[in-house]
Amino acid sequence: MRMTIKLGTAAAIAVSVAASAVYAGEIRIGASMRMISENGQKYGQMMQDEFDAINAAGGINGNMIELILLNDECKSDKGVANANKFAYQDNVHLVIGSSCSSVTLPMVDVTAQAQVPHIIPHSTSDLITLKGSEWIFRVPISARYYKGAAAKYIGEKIGTNIAYVFASDAAAVADAEGLREQMSQQFGAEPAYWAQVQEKEIDFRSHMLKIKAMDVDALYIAALQEPMARALVQSYEVGIPAEVKRVANSVASNAPVPGMAGDAITGVFFTAAYSDSDTRPIAMEFNEMVRERYGVAKIDHDFSQAWDLIRIVEIALNNADISAADDDLAADRVAIRDAIAGIQGYEGLASGPISFCADPTPQCRDGNRTVVLIAYEKGGADFELGILDRVTMPIDFGLE
Amino acid sequence: MHGAISTFMAGIQRLSRIHPVMPWCVGLILLLPLPWLVANTYQVYLLNHICIMIIMATGLNIVKGFAGQVTVGHVALAAVGAFTSAVLSTKFGMPFWICMPVAVVVTVLTGALVAIPSFRLEGAYLALATLAFAQAVEIFIRVTNYLGSASGIGGIKPPVFFGIVLRDYESYYFLVMPMTVLAVYASFAILKSATGRAFMAIREDPLTAAATGVHVKRYKLIAFMLSAVYAGLAGSLMAHMLPGYVHPNNFTVIEMVTVLLMVVLGGIGSIWGGVIGAIIVSIVADVTRDYYFYQLLLFGLVIVGTVIFMPKGIGGIIDRYFVSRRFVAAREATAAQKRERVDTLPEEDR
Repeated sequence: MRMTIKLGTAAAIAVSVAASAVYAGEIRIGASMRMISENGQKYGQMMQDEFDAINAAGGINGNMIELILLNDECKSDKGVANANKFAYQDNVHLVIGSSCSSVTLPMVDVTAQAQVPHIIPHSTSDLITLKGSEWIFRVPISARYYKGAAAKYIGEKIGTNIAYVFASDAAAVADAEGLREQMSQQFGAEPAYWAQVQEKEIDFRSHMLKIKAMDVDALYIAALQEPMARALVQSYEVGIPAEVKRVANSVASNAPVPGMAGDAITGVFFTAAYSDSDTRPIAMEFNEMVRERYGVAKIDHDFSQAWDLIRIVEIALNNADISAADDDLAADRVAIRDAIAGIQGYEGLASGPISFCADPTPQCRDGNRTVVLIAYEKGGADFELGILDRVTMPIDFGLE
Repeated sequence: MHGAISTFMAGIQRLSRIHPVMPWCVGLILLLPLPWLVANTYQVYLLNHICIMIIMATGLNIVKGFAGQVTVGHVALAAVGAFTSAVLSTKFGMPFWICMPVAVVVTVLTGALVAIPSFRLEGAYLALATLAFAQAVEIFIRVTNYLGSASGIGGIKPPVFFGIVLRDYESYYFLVMPMTVLAVYASFAILKSATGRAFMAIREDPLTAAATGVHVKRYKLIAFMLSAVYAGLAGSLMAHMLPGYVHPNNFTVIEMVTVLLMVVLGGIGSIWGGVIGAIIVSIVADVTRDYYFYQLLLFGLVIVGTVIFMPKGIGGIIDRYFVSRRFVAAREATAAQKRERVDTLPEEDR
């Protein structure tokens, strides 16, 4: 009996030693995203699947990644609660989030105070990196680059007499105001028409009728998916001619919009970080993978940005000197932060390289500067996009 | 169990005999070490959140539970408090100790406006009027650049208390917890006062209340204004807690349903019920964070289930327990007296 116990104990020790050799520790990553929409869930699912794939391939230097995925419903209080939970209860090594700028903004303060590296998948507001947190990194393109690139193209190729109709959600307001500011700075052009509507506005026709009576070069629409589609359809219903170019904010890149807008989206110009009409091999392979795995017919830039983020995190974790032991959490967090800051010239699905550096400034932390100028060539569920141009913005743009 | 509760209640009664405020002071002292007893900073954050929710629920209980006025505009009043505090702090650089009282005053004045429809409307109609007010507040904030529009207001300064900046959740607890205790105490004081009795008279029957000399309009106005004090205080405390950020998305109908659930589950009109409801709902909301698709469904089912099967909520159960305990005690005392009387009788008269 005693012999059996000794053998059992020895076997248990051997197994635990062997296990510790394979499974050195756990790298915990907390992701807070807007997962109330169908695509929102799929971005989260893709993150989970990609981290599972990294684990299946042996993890990061023997350490397994545990992803804790929470929904913030695009509400700042939920995002703050999630960030606090990640930082203090789950003791994560890295925070990812959020999809919405209004949620990411307060999360930055929490992660800065808790000293947890924080990387953003989708939020574009300039203010996020202007906070000066040394723990924040942004994978998507900052709004300051978007509005500059869009204004340049519109002013030079479309015209300067623009009617603006925008909803009251954070991104739409920021985009409309940013474009207005850039049109004024670059071309001295003031809006021909300026109207803010409700976030979930249903009837845009009174605005459209007024715009119809004006001789405008372009109609700019910034809104969430459904109102954007409605506004586009109604602009044709009231008879605004097709010669008046329709311009939209980056929400137009979300796959449901062309399905809802139908033919009304044809010719709409917008800026984004990625287009699924990208013909680079890496993009075509990615599109195929997303179509197969998640049943998405057309891939928007939120998918590509989430994927780029995962790859950047993977590189940083591989480069970071981390033990993944609970006692070394603070040191591991610093190491991961420094490893992300050390990423230079990452080339993935983004149309240009993504680089970070150590200074807690927008120049160092707005990693992606290449804006893709896109136009819809065909609407409906089987929509088609055409890439008009790619513009890499100067690093200081919008900070003067 | 009964023994422990009886001992606890007897202890409170003994303390009350020294001074009515004494049990509250002891309670306050007992709650002070909580930040050190919980497992981590996130739980301290939750404690602060629960305290703010208790203030919200207690305030809603005054207008809904005491005075019987159906309102769904309480969270909008908190938004008024939060944004007033945020504007004063970020645009005028005022400290918390000025922002908070001013926010409360502005919210009280707004609460007076909300009270006006209650002079003529009741029940579902009043609920609709206050819902319209709540929507109007949310939309007004969203479209007003000065109020941060859709981006919200960030950079709200934390309170400074005798040179100590209450920047972290642990230190903030020592501000928010005493204020919560004070708010609950004040609620009991209101309930026991002539004003509280007038509220209850209006709740039971406004016509009878008016016939007995209660100025119904005035007391409805007071109920809404007192309730607004709580909403304004809660809003201001929300705004100044780390990370010092307010956004109109945090003051929607969904938040109102959550606060309503706290009051309904706790028991409409029961102060302790509201407190317990706020604690339970906040904890359940946190525990079910991962099941976000079912959370609202769960909350809705709990409201419906409570209304059907437990109309007086948890507070009702507590009240029933104490009433039955008092009844049993009285019956036992009567029986003992009877036995004593019998014992004193001569043998032949027994």
